Parts: sequence; structure tokens; C-alpha cells
Amino acid sequence: MKKNSIEKKRYAMVIDLRRCIGCHTCSVACKAENRVPLGVYRSWVKIIEKGNYPNISRHFLPTLCNQCDHPPCVINCPVQATWKLEDGIVIIDEHRCIGCKYCLASCPYNARHINPLIPIVQKCYFCHHRVNAGLEPACVEACPARARIFGDLNNPQGEVAKLLSKLPFQVLKPEMGTYPQVYYIGADLDAMDPFAGRKGWI
Amino acid sequence: MDINVIYNVEHEIHIGTPIALYFYLTGLSAGSFIISTFAYGFGMIKYKPLGKIGVVMATLLLVIAPMILLIDLAQPLRFWHLILYLRITSPITWGTFLLSLYPINCMIYGYFMFKGDLKRTKIFGLIGIPLALMVHGYTGFILALGKARVLWNTAIMPPIFLVSAMVSGLAMMILVVIIKDYFIQRGKEHDPTLIYGLSKLLVASIVLDLILIGIDLSVLLTSHTEAYIAALMLLKGSFSHLFLGVEVFIGALVPLFLLLFPLTKRWVPAIAIASVLTMIGILAMRYIMVVGGLSIPLS
Repeated sequence: MKKNSIEKKRYAMVIDLRRCIGCHTCSVACKAENRVPLGVYRSWVKIIEKGNYPNISRHFLPTLCNQCDHPPCVINCPVQATWKLEDGIVIIDEHRCIGCKYCLASCPYNARHINPLIPIVQKCYFCHHRVNAGLEPACVEACPARARIFGDLNNPQGEVAKLLSKLPFQVLKPEMGTYPQVYYIGADLDAMDPFAGRKGWI
Repeated sequence: MDINVIYNVEHEIHIGTPIALYFYLTGLSAGSFIISTFAYGFGMIKYKPLGKIGVVMATLLLVIAPMILLIDLAQPLRFWHLILYLRITSPITWGTFLLSLYPINCMIYGYFMFKGDLKRTKIFGLIGIPLALMVHGYTGFILALGKARVLWNTAIMPPIFLVSAMVSGLAMMILVVIIKDYFIQRGKEHDPTLIYGLSKLLVASIVLDLILIGIDLSVLLTSHTEAYIAALMLLKGSFSHLFLGVEVFIGALVPLFLLLFPLTKRWVPAIAIASVLTMIGILAMRYIMVVGGLSIPLS
């Protein structure tokens, strides 16, 4: 391990689904903070129900950009309009984006969208403006159940590193080789599977 | 166990028919360029009448095709970013340069051909062949490197695109020759062996195309869950009519029958019908790849 990689920040998010109550506060906070237009979302909560009465359960999956370590969107952007910052956050230069939509097609997480008002690609960027100012992302701060925990993965004393060292966790689509940096504790496999609950879809 | 999705968000991907059409036109262009080099690059005298038509079609189509790309951009006025801020890992960047070099080479090649300078025509024809292959091969890479989409992310995508380009290019050239011989220069005497030669090549490339599609499908069917679902989507799902009906049956099997059946294989109207059907089939293939590939849910 390189010497400076310990000092380097690597922002990550842990979503503790044992705590999530599916209230959509994170989605609303994100919309308000980032002025996300109608019809598109940078963070949303997928909800599934499974089982037969009386053995039923409901599972949530808050979804956002995974700030991958090997982001396909960055590799495929032809104009370097999106790149990875030193602290691990993938951002978009909205003045450089030409709107070719190749990143939308490359993202395995459906995290990117075209802004319907200004034709430009946007996505979650861990509220980088807030993080730079020493605050937490809006969804983390607004979550009433404290299910979202944000912090520096390289800080061994931080809550993110502690949770990930102690508890079993999952990431979305690890087979894609993207090394996502949003970690889920207690996520349900069927909630993470795009095809579960879509029996008729072919 | 019953599973119901109560709430989910799926962002609309605004990529569709224009991009499929763009892939189709570059395919036609690459195909007709390669046919035009049969005579002027490799010295096959039989195909000499196709040289000039081929290069004109190749250049015209490659002027129209990037226009579709520009219109499809959300910010068309920023197209110059592609040259100024290029990222070499992106296949679109490769395309930026190929789509500039290839039409220039086509024009130089055409200029020497019309001037009658056979030696230089041959040089630029031979330079143009790898360019034509790359200009269409890179569109296969655009899909193959979009790794989120299971229908696209396969190593066989560039070869499929090249072979289908050859299929559609040959079909278009047959139609062009038929229109030239039987409509524009009706009074003149003409030699149908050229059409027969092209139709033989068309048969070979349709068969190769079908083989590649079969390989792709059989791997999809035996690969991971998502790939299996993508294969089912083509075979009995929402794109099955387009895939089995238009691409495979109307676009490949019916033309193969018309071009091989002894009663119709020497009959020019049948060859014309076969060519039209093949072109429709390849257009359907482009549409299925682009739109069908994007329709598979991710979240």
C-alpha cells in the first residue's frame, strides 16, 4: 500500500437496511438540495414485498450513484466531462458534457439521468458542495432512522470503516467489476435483483 | 414465493432509432466502399462497374450518418469538445477520428478514380479498407463496451456488425445495379452476370451473419441469468416478432431461399426482392440491438 493512500480520503456510504423504514426522506432531501427536476431522481428507494400471507415482508433498497472505483461512465465518456476526484467522488462538468448519453447506457446502476430542463447528464455526487464545506450529504443528514452513514473509508476511527470491518455487507452488481463505494448492510437479494418481481417481463 | 415491486425508478434512456439508423448507414457505407475496392484495389475486373457507384454511395452515406449523431446529441453545439477534450478509452473518441478520416479518404479515392489514375486509386482504395472496417467495427465496440447492457457486452458484437455491414452493403449494391441497368440505362445492353456474382456473395455473407447470430444466442442462453433473460426476450419476449419474424425470417431465410432456389436465383426481380428484404432485416437487427439492449431493466 502506498504511503499516502492512508492519508488520502476515500468517501463512501454505508446504508444500514436494518434501520431503514422506507420513508423516502432521502429522496425528498436530495430533490430539495440539488433541485432535481420532476420525473428524474438522483436517489430513490426501491420497495419490494414478498411472501404469502401471513408470512410476508417488505424490503427497501435506497439507490444512488455508487461512486465506483472503476466507473464505466468515466471510461466511456468521450469528452472527459465526468471523472473521479481524489476523494473518490465521480463528478460531472456540466459545461463540458455534450449529451451523447453513452454514460447513461454504460452505467449498470441506472444512476444517471438527462435533466429534462437543461439537456445535460446529471447524477448523485455525494453532495460534493456540502462535503467540501464539512457537512454531510443531504440524504444522510435528513435520514430520520440514521440508516445512511457517510464518511471517509480510509479513516479507521470513522463510523464507515468500523461498520464495514465488523458487519457483513453487500454491494450492488459486484460482478460488473466496478467496485462500488455504496455498501449495504442487510440488503435483501430480491430487492437487489432487477428481475425479481418482474415475472411477466421478458 | 410472490415478489412484487412496490416502487422503483427507471430512468428513460434517450437513445433509440437515430442511433440505430446511424449504425445502419455506416454499415451501408463501409459495405459499399469495400465492394468498390474489389475492382480498383484487388483488380477483379468483373466488379469494375461498381467502383464509381460504390465510392459515391460510401461518401454520401458517411456525410449523412454523422449528421444524425450530431442531431442526437443533447448539446449539438458542443460537438467540438469531442476533438478538444478527447478521452482515448472511449470508443466514441475513436469514432471522432475515424468518421473524419474515412470520408476524406473516400473523396481522395473517388477523385483519383474519376480522373482515371489507377495506381493512386489502388493505393487509396487499400488504405480505405482498414478504415472502412474500423469505421464500422468501432460502432460494434460502442455497444460491446457498454458493459451495463447484457445484449451489447459481448466480444462477438464487432464481428457481427462487420458481417451485417457486408450483408446490407451487398444488398444495396445489387439494388443500385438493378436500378442503373433496368431503369436509368434501359435501352443499353447490360450483363446480368455482375448481379449473379453479387448475389452469390450476398448468400455467403447472409449465411455467415446467421452463424454469428446463432453463436451469440447460444452463448446468451447458457450464460448468467441476465443473459438468459436477454436471449428469451429475443426468442419469445417483446422483441421476438422483430427478431425472429423480421430479422431472421424475412431478412435472412426468405432472401436465402430466393437466392438459392433454382427457379428464382437467376430471375432479377427475385434478386431485387431478396435485396430489399435483406436491407429491412439488417435495419431491424440494428434496432433490436440498440433499443432492445436498452430495454432490459437495471434496477
